[in-house]
Amino acid sequence: MEDLTAVGKPIPKLDAVDKATGRAVYIHDVKVPGMLYGKILYSKYPHARIVHMDTSRARRLPGVRAVLTGEDIPPVKFGFYKDNTPLKRGKVRSYRDEVAAVAAVDPDVAQEALDLIEVHYEALPAVFDPEEAMGEGAPLVHEEHRTNVLRLPWKMHLGDVEEARKQARYVVEDRFRVTWVTHCCMATSGCIAMFDSSMNLTMYSNTQIPSLAQKDYLEALEAMGLRGKRVRVIKASIGGAFGSKLDTYPYEYVAILLAQATRKPVRILFDRKEEFVATSGRQPAIIEIAQGCDPEGRLLFRDVSMILDNGAYTSWGATTPSVMMMPISSLYRVPNVRYEARCVYTNNTYSQAMRGYGNPQATFAIESSMDRLAEEAGIDRVDFRLRNANEPGDVTPQEFKITTCGLKACIEEVRRKLGWDEPRGQDEGVGMACLIHVGGGARVYKSDGCGTIIKVDDYGKVDVFTGATDMGQGADTVIAQVVAEELGVEVEDVRVIHTDTDVCPWDVGAHASRTTFVACNSALGAARNIKERILEIASRQMGEPPEKLAIRHREVFSTQEPEKRLELGKLLRKAHFSPSGQMLMAEYFYDPANENLDKTFRGNLSMTYTFGAHGVRVKVDRETGKVRVLKYVAAHDVGKAINPMLLEGQVYGGALMGIGYALTEQLLLDKGEVMNPNFRDYKILTAKDAVEIETHIVETMDKDGPFGAKGIGEPGCVPTAPAIANAIYHAVGIRMRELPMTPERVLAAILEKQRGG
Amino acid sequence: MRKFSYLTPRSLDEAISLMESYGERARYVAGGTDVLVKIKEGKLRPEYLVSLRRIPSMDRIWCEQGPSGELRIGALATHRALECSATIRWHYPILHDAVSNIGSVQIRNVATIGGNLVNAVPSADGAIPLVTLDAQVRLQGPKGARQMELLHFFMGPGQTVLDRGEVLTEIIVPPLAPRTGSAYIKFGRREAMELPLLGVGVLLSLDQEMRRCLKARIGLGVAAPTPMRAHEAEAFLEGRDLDEATLREAGRIAAEESRVRDSVRGAAWYRREMVKVLVCRMGLRCLERARAPH
Amino acid sequence: MARRISFLLNGELQELEVEDHWTLLHLLREELGLTGTKEGCGSGECGACTVLVDNKAVNSCLFLAAEAEGKEVLTIEGLASPDGTLHPLQRAFVEHGAIQCGFCTPGMILSAKALLDENPSPTEEEIRHALAGNLCRCTGYLQIFRAVRAASGQLRGSSVEVIARSTE
Repeated sequence: MEDLTAVGKPIPKLDAVDKATGRAVYIHDVKVPGMLYGKILYSKYPHARIVHMDTSRARRLPGVRAVLTGEDIPPVKFGFYKDNTPLKRGKVRSYRDEVAAVAAVDPDVAQEALDLIEVHYEALPAVFDPEEAMGEGAPLVHEEHRTNVLRLPWKMHLGDVEEARKQARYVVEDRFRVTWVTHCCMATSGCIAMFDSSMNLTMYSNTQIPSLAQKDYLEALEAMGLRGKRVRVIKASIGGAFGSKLDTYPYEYVAILLAQATRKPVRILFDRKEEFVATSGRQPAIIEIAQGCDPEGRLLFRDVSMILDNGAYTSWGATTPSVMMMPISSLYRVPNVRYEARCVYTNNTYSQAMRGYGNPQATFAIESSMDRLAEEAGIDRVDFRLRNANEPGDVTPQEFKITTCGLKACIEEVRRKLGWDEPRGQDEGVGMACLIHVGGGARVYKSDGCGTIIKVDDYGKVDVFTGATDMGQGADTVIAQVVAEELGVEVEDVRVIHTDTDVCPWDVGAHASRTTFVACNSALGAARNIKERILEIASRQMGEPPEKLAIRHREVFSTQEPEKRLELGKLLRKAHFSPSGQMLMAEYFYDPANENLDKTFRGNLSMTYTFGAHGVRVKVDRETGKVRVLKYVAAHDVGKAINPMLLEGQVYGGALMGIGYALTEQLLLDKGEVMNPNFRDYKILTAKDAVEIETHIVETMDKDGPFGAKGIGEPGCVPTAPAIANAIYHAVGIRMRELPMTPERVLAAILEKQRGG
Repeated sequence: MRKFSYLTPRSLDEAISLMESYGERARYVAGGTDVLVKIKEGKLRPEYLVSLRRIPSMDRIWCEQGPSGELRIGALATHRALECSATIRWHYPILHDAVSNIGSVQIRNVATIGGNLVNAVPSADGAIPLVTLDAQVRLQGPKGARQMELLHFFMGPGQTVLDRGEVLTEIIVPPLAPRTGSAYIKFGRREAMELPLLGVGVLLSLDQEMRRCLKARIGLGVAAPTPMRAHEAEAFLEGRDLDEATLREAGRIAAEESRVRDSVRGAAWYRREMVKVLVCRMGLRCLERARAPH
Repeated sequence: MARRISFLLNGELQELEVEDHWTLLHLLREELGLTGTKEGCGSGECGACTVLVDNKAVNSCLFLAAEAEGKEVLTIEGLASPDGTLHPLQRAFVEHGAIQCGFCTPGMILSAKALLDENPSPTEEEIRHALAGNLCRCTGYLQIFRAVRAASGQLRGSSVEVIARSTE
């Protein structure tokens, strides 16, 4: 590959200076003239009938402009299962149910008004365990469904698992359990809803899915009797997302309803407690898994069944099985695969997307089970993985077409860098876990596309309008880099605008680690168009055929006679300020050639897949159960690192989030109530806990990726928990089957083993 | 946040008399890191906050004769000041261990040792080391001044013996015996920003051969409703030659004495187990420190 | 209840009326329009609201505005030079990938500044200890540590230069 000027360089994030100087504007910093402040009243019971509400005292409080309850609003139902409403009517099904909302002239008055709302509840029997909720006579969370088990199609059988099990020489079976953890974005959630004089809606939002959110809001407006309106979504800087903004929340619709009721802009901002209680984190799961292999250690089958605590309402958590299928069917070569997942209503909180979207949960089970199977078969754990590793050209049982695949290289790199075969100290152990994730988009909707519009001004400065979302991960910067590379300008000449649906084209959203692949391919498509036209113009101005011209560092030059060169700005001004002048603008909508899954869940979901391996060396304190990470190696097949510095940031951040998932984080629910809705008791890792992560990048140069790149946003947190669990087992012979692996749980397991349990 | 008036008296007498005038409607505040959180959470609703910050000379840390004399700590000394004090780091490492891990630098720059004691949470990282050091506290109020053992200052979670209007003004640590080592550990799931699962402070004074224990003190936090001392374990150690086995036994006795509970932060059985393990480990650290030349 | 206070804010004298119950965070963000300082939790547990008061890092969400009287307050807006030149910490954060979503950044940079002002050559341990009260969910902290080390080298480098010049 010729010498690149922008791609592959560790360019600082485009908005880093703004963020370092306090100039970046987040939703918390946005004020709109006439703005009112909205606040929400939450349920006092996990399951209860709302007998009576009295909002009269709240309405009379000076400064209050609107009070809404479930009785006051039209039937706005949202969420893909359409079982959620912005304000609840008739009954509440969890502590986070929104019961009433207030808009007032300042937040303190709004809070005071909430305190004046009287609600009389009649408590109903509640259910907090999904297995119990599936049973006869369990309280029904949504009576109209007549069952607590959701009608979802999560059943997959590829090949013949029963037969394969009979053939297997070695079989292991295990049950694992993972619980709620949450995103803990440093900025809390918020939005501003604003109508214009024709009742068109503008939402200032934190969303990762501006185009889909637009659609959700439009549907809400329809339900509110506002037909044929327009919706504009404007994003401020997003203070962290990690999937938390992948679905729309009740509070957003509440803001819209309050804005309608008051005819004024209404801002709702969550405080930290609300953020813990009323946003949706990672889907918990009870996982049963069996795997088997032949005498040589070749995997023959994988049989997985899960029960998911769906909580009281349905969001993306209930669709995580569609992603869990990916590692289940395609992590390593496994010819026979079966999977079933049941999502069950309870009166707990509900979950949605969180970095990895089910992959971390499933991989914890699969990779723990792999170590167990290797031990059962008497095969070295690394060799066992190499023996079953995916290879380029594979077609997996789900019909994923593996194009580039650096899995073996990642495994070898981890083995080497971790010092896998080196002697270990007392109570030390090493563990490894691998991952597969979509790397070239993911066709979960009918479109996986992203649009880009590029315009170039008279000075060679470029504006890129993209549908993509930057939420801190660096989408803005990599887009600028690929455009700068293609057009031969400097990265600082390129501005990336992604913040306004009135101006930016459609994109399905920042999920599935798709942004670099899809948005950059989209930007490249538009950039190539622009480049073609620049070269045409240059060809006429310079008297050289376009094939003999190139652009680099803002100059067009002849590849044969490099002294023949023209500054880009000059060229553009000449083209513009002349008879029949032209200016350069181009658009491109890129929708990857991947496939929707069919009814049997087969289909090439992504254009390419990313792979990786994490290895960890731990030391277990036998007396306290504390697990200390001594060394951590993360190897990732990323296709091509468009920006190695930002890419590292994704791996570091993802891995530390994953280490928290493995060791310290859990949202504690007691009879449906969150007991640790604060940073004191919800343990995200601090600077003192930070683990030094050694990264290794394998560049497999994917032919479909922009400059060869694949996705990296999520992979960093996928294999962390099983890598650590496997290392703990190696260190002290304890197999941990539940996350987080707190000191208490580790010690309990050690003591039980000592007692002969 | 709910409105209140902020009063800034310039002397202790003025502060006390303000509290007397406003009674139930007023609260003292020092650094504010506990009080303001409680007001925000609606747990406290004072109309007046009487700030102690401007009272002169209440933040001094001084010991005239080194560790062989008394250590006097003004109640308004911040945790950060204590953390940065060379005297405390060298001679009272148990206190240094504790205060250097309270909250964060931001909290420590503002939060006071007096505030920590008066807040009286069972985990108070300020209290356990001081209780282990046999500290006394001076209180001053409308009825005059009094002095008492810190251990008896606590009555229950969030409750102290302070009468209305009384202010904790000073902490007095008695002279240390020669050949004394002390250590504290705040035990939790992560390395910082922890409200501990358990706090363990140990102090051991050794004989001339650096072997026999002349004095043993074991302070435990979150092992009872208030900071406690493991008196039986202390009695067991005093007079004995110290080695790992003896310290282990002391740990076991201390664990039996403790009155741990289940909570959101940890189960009782685990806390009890950790008392056993950590008393021994802190004991060993004390031996190291007593024996190491400064 | 209101009172008049006067204090230095980013080098400029401020004389204004504040309500007793206002926190410094509220004063900065809502009254003075300096929104660079962020609220992450409101209870001193995340450090996003960190500002420097008399060169000490404090959580402005738990610091009463009234207590700023007579003190020097530095917020993120006051760190770069008046001509816009970035402080070495700001530049290092930008150049080392220490900023992703950026919400923790103002507080993190100011905590780092307080550290380097007091301790120009901190060890890795000391950097972690100083930043323990600033939570970050995006970066995993490693690039932040790199940035602080780089800035410390830069700051030391420049002061060494000054010393050399003054002895010529």
